[in-house]
Amino acid sequence: MADIEKVEYKPISVRDLLIEVKDISELMIDLAYSAALFDNEELAEEVMDLEKQVKTLTYLINMNAMLAARDAEDAEALVGVPMVASSAEKISDAAADIATIVLKDIRIHPIIRDVFRKVEEQLARIKIESISFLISKRIDELKLAAEIGVNILAIRRGKRWILDPEDEEIIQEEDILIVRGTQKGIEELGKAAKGKLKEL
Amino acid sequence: MVKNKKTFGRIVENLVELKDTSEMMLDLAYSSLLLKSKSLAEEVQFLEEHMDDLHTELELLVLSCGFNSKESKDFLGLIRLGLFTETIADAAAQIAELVLRGIEPHPVLKMAIEEAEKSVVRVTVPKKSKLIGQTIKKANIPEETGMWILAIRRGNRWIRPRPKVIIEAKDTLIASGYADGEKDFIKLIKD
Repeated sequence: MADIEKVEYKPISVRDLLIEVKDISELMIDLAYSAALFDNEELAEEVMDLEKQVKTLTYLINMNAMLAARDAEDAEALVGVPMVASSAEKISDAAADIATIVLKDIRIHPIIRDVFRKVEEQLARIKIESISFLISKRIDELKLAAEIGVNILAIRRGKRWILDPEDEEIIQEEDILIVRGTQKGIEELGKAAKGKLKEL
Repeated sequence: MVKNKKTFGRIVENLVELKDTSEMMLDLAYSSLLLKSKSLAEEVQFLEEHMDDLHTELELLVLSCGFNSKESKDFLGLIRLGLFTETIADAAAQIAELVLRGIEPHPVLKMAIEEAEKSVVRVTVPKKSKLIGQTIKKANIPEETGMWILAIRRGNRWIRPRPKVIIEAKDTLIASGYADGEKDFIKLIKD
């Protein structure tokens, strides 16, 4: 087993930690299904990365909750916090297991995948290359939903995840965008990210 | 080679419903916590039973496909997908259980789920409602009332409120939003 780090206590607000765990675990469900149903290993890898984040966040939530309890009354009031965090972690584990279907090459039957494609919107991972015109643009400036029917669900910037990015967020070189949309829209955005399209 | 196209169609329908139900359960579970609503929490528990049935049906469908040993991996993926989806539903039920146990949600939990005061409302669509025959998208409910639909109960089934779903008479809509939108919501549905 590689990559298991000790989690050190950090004084972060439990509220912020919980919001993050909840948002990440929900995004993971979408990503994992899309990875499995569209046989997309890139998305599966992002799910595995997010699973690690959820683990760390869950440790931090539990530590903070423990520190906040001083007596039996506090403990009763606080017990819901680690319980909800543990549910979110359970969801994250299940999503990682779904992603593993792809990574271990078990895969979903191709006929089922074909039918699914007709009913479900696709998620994709798009990397912003250095020559893309998207760099330095604000998200709302691009009007992606109106122009090509694509929504940005999250941005991974190095090790940092930005979930449900604000309109003002500016796209940077090397950003990894997690997007949802029609196949055509995703293809166009992919070309723009590689610098093969100069406008959308 | 597997020939039964009908079975494939049913497998996909089943998987879509499993996935939709598990996500809806999660929405409802968080809402039940936020609103301290035992009735919503009970719906989550009810849906979990429904998930069990769906999951069993999926497994039976997959096993009855008559695949050969070369194809078995393709079908293992489907079995696993069903299994993990049920785990997600279990996690939602675990959240709802907190409410049913009467555990007072800590303010921090409420803040994390949603900042403002919200209410939840359950309305059955009367036969004369103007919304009958309209899609969720066309009904413009969030724009008109500030409430958004979490789930639709149709007979014994739960439906996820996707934009294309058409509203029918006797549907029970469960919606959440700011308390002042509640009246507008009821008016919109009942008029």
